[in-house]
Amino acid sequence: MAPVVSVEALRKRYRRRDPWAVDGVTFALEPGQAFGLLGPNGSGKTSVVKMIAGLLRPDGGSISLFGSKPGDPAARAQLGFAPEDPDFPKFLRAREVLDYFASLLGLDEDDRKRRIPETLAFAGLDQEKRHVRQFSKGMKQRLGIAQAILGRPKLLILDEPTADLDPLGRRDVRALIESLKASGVAILLNSHLLSEVELVCDTVAILAKGHVLKEGTMAEVVPEGRNLEDVFVELVQASSPPKQDNLPSFITDKEDQ
Amino acid sequence: MKGTLAVARYTLLDLSRRRILLVFFIIGALGIAIIGTGLKVFSSTFSSGTSFGPPGTVSDPAKVNRFLELMFVTDLVGALGLFALLIAFGIGMTAIYHDLESGAAVAIFSKPVARLAFTVGKVAAALAAMIVIVGLLSIEAILFGLLFGGGLEHTLAVEAVAQVANALTLMLIVLALSTWMNNIVAAIVAFIYNAVGGVVVALHSQLASGVLGDNSFLKGLINVVYWLVPHQLTSDAPRELVKAELELFSTSGQTTADLTQALAAVPGPSGATDIIWWAVVVAVMATLVYVAVRRRQV
Repeated sequence: MAPVVSVEALRKRYRRRDPWAVDGVTFALEPGQAFGLLGPNGSGKTSVVKMIAGLLRPDGGSISLFGSKPGDPAARAQLGFAPEDPDFPKFLRAREVLDYFASLLGLDEDDRKRRIPETLAFAGLDQEKRHVRQFSKGMKQRLGIAQAILGRPKLLILDEPTADLDPLGRRDVRALIESLKASGVAILLNSHLLSEVELVCDTVAILAKGHVLKEGTMAEVVPEGRNLEDVFVELVQASSPPKQDNLPSFITDKEDQ
Repeated sequence: MKGTLAVARYTLLDLSRRRILLVFFIIGALGIAIIGTGLKVFSSTFSSGTSFGPPGTVSDPAKVNRFLELMFVTDLVGALGLFALLIAFGIGMTAIYHDLESGAAVAIFSKPVARLAFTVGKVAAALAAMIVIVGLLSIEAILFGLLFGGGLEHTLAVEAVAQVANALTLMLIVLALSTWMNNIVAAIVAFIYNAVGGVVVALHSQLASGVLGDNSFLKGLINVVYWLVPHQLTSDAPRELVKAELELFSTSGQTTADLTQALAAVPGPSGATDIIWWAVVVAVMATLVYVAVRRRQV
């Protein structure tokens, strides 16, 4: 089966004097597969997904998105991207944001009439009349996921999709991922919530400082009797110098009697 | 095309709900209403027996009314220019900058919309918003002008077009700069560039009228710099207003030649070269906006 997205020796740095944010990342994702991209803060996960979405220019390596370059609009028409910390034009309402994005996706009138109310209901924003600027972070995150699935993508990229969601919202996102996977949609999930990744992803790659430390199916990465969190912590700690106890002294000091 | 229209439509909707533009519009509309009504009340109450201009020249109520109308329109020409600039800054600082800085551009650019379509949509919406606001203020001004008998509608309409054209250049500069830097810094840089441009154009005008003497180095320098800055387009409004005032205050001893000589000092309407240069500047600035948006990583 042809991969939905394949990334080879991908490199990115933001300034010449900076270290590589992404350095030699390679992976491929097939239809119906859920791939988890894990790593500590600053490991380059968001840079990787932004390059796949055509939002950042790679400094090296190659990306094939549905057989084209990420900048190709035809390829991006099949992509849904829910960014981390999403935002939208501040003075629009949720329905207007979705109508705006439906226009950008080239959806016809019939599709809009059907998809927009259903997507809003899924995101729990169907009764919401306020402007986006008055939304909470969780509401923006829900709208971010809503706009990502509106075009019925063949590849859905979710960058920390549940970071600002309540437990009910998290459960909805998990159900969404399972349902999309079953219908052949490829999922690329960036998340810190390792238990969640363990539940929904078939394969994972663990990144640190722009490098892939380990990649494979869940069974390959997490040996019998261990969990993903243990493996993650072990790999990440091994890749960086041992960390001292950095608790501030005013916390550890005993109070004067 | 669909992408451009969608960007334009929703940018316009977003801009129309921004308080800053609404505040500019309300201040402008109230200002015109207050000046117009105030002058009308003044003319109705005090016109009989009051004289304007050189001692004893205008005491006829019809002439007083005409004089006040000229005053009103002269004030409006300045006010419309000021509001067009404020609106250009207001729109230029927000139309693209907020999408880029808030992160809205991340979701927008991940959709199948070309950066060119996005830029064209944004500029079209910004221009449409400015035309609507300045157009409404101009219509209000023309209606108030009718209180004084009218006759200067055409002058005001052409002046409004010139003001929108000048504000468009400034707005494009702010739009282009705000994709590279903070929008307040962009506005300050654009303001300075616009002010320098105004000084250069004024110096060039002085040079053309021979006030600056015959220094060939100075002439060459000003001529070169003149073609590096946007030229403010002018309508025939300033000349028409001065002409109307001169006619109102003319005495029997003054000839047509005197009138023509006096009018020569007032800047005339922009010629074809100025309009072509304006179009070139607009095209260059619009291209800069596109290049800045295209290069922008979000």
